[in-house]
Amino acid sequence: MSEIITDKLTGKTSAGDVTITSEGGSATMQLQQGVAKCWHHYNQSGTLATVDSFNVSSATDSGVGITRTSYTNSLANLGYAVSGSHNLPSSNTASWVTGLDNSADFTTGQVTCSTFNTASGRVDATKALMTLHGDLA
Amino acid sequence: MAGKIIADTLEHSTAGSLTTDYVVNGSAKSWVNFNGTGTIATRDSLNVASLTDIGTGNHEINFSSAMSDVNYSRSTHMQRENTTASYANIDGSYNNDTYSTTTLEVRTVYMNAAASGAVDSPIVSNQIFGDLA
Repeated sequence: MSEIITDKLTGKTSAGDVTITSEGGSATMQLQQGVAKCWHHYNQSGTLATVDSFNVSSATDSGVGITRTSYTNSLANLGYAVSGSHNLPSSNTASWVTGLDNSADFTTGQVTCSTFNTASGRVDATKALMTLHGDLA
Repeated sequence: MAGKIIADTLEHSTAGSLTTDYVVNGSAKSWVNFNGTGTIATRDSLNVASLTDIGTGNHEINFSSAMSDVNYSRSTHMQRENTTASYANIDGSYNNDTYSTTTLEVRTVYMNAAASGAVDSPIVSNQIFGDLA
């Protein structure tokens, strides 16, 4: 088994391009593009609390069910992809979903996600999760 | 000529080590951020050849490099289009939608206790994890 011990990987031809070979062996892809640039697990109930995170400088409670995640390292543009999820309390049978909030707070330095259900609108969740892929600045 | 390293493990001096199967298997194989309103438009993407606007709240993502099978994981996210707080916007696929190694059909809909329907969203994100061919 071979092992590389290093603190940094840099492309030789292009510094930001390290290529990996696909599982099936017939394709290659850019390592930097496929790596998550941020993930955030937080509890919205009561005092907002980050459970664990990567590339998150702070979390802000912007109202019931609304959380702003600020990045330690900014994204390069507004073309990044975000996904989210949260837990469903057993006492509530309405549909619960996580989405980008329509407050237009979607910048290279932060994103606001809201958790809501079909019965009462925005609601706080005890387990809210978000993941981000895109280009770092 | 670009260099090539074949290794099973990467180790950082302080952050720990990681076997490279996590790098290959754990990396997103596709992601995209697009505007689903008006003329559908990609803002940025990885491994996306094109988008197809099927109809309101209905879009196809066509991959540049095919997945090896249809067992891949996907997540889709959208910005709420409706300003009414009681509306939830959800995303996903219908059970007859295209879910192939080269194309994924995604839906964006709104829903509340009284109504639901397809809606175009200004920001739609999709991420794919799985095996490339």
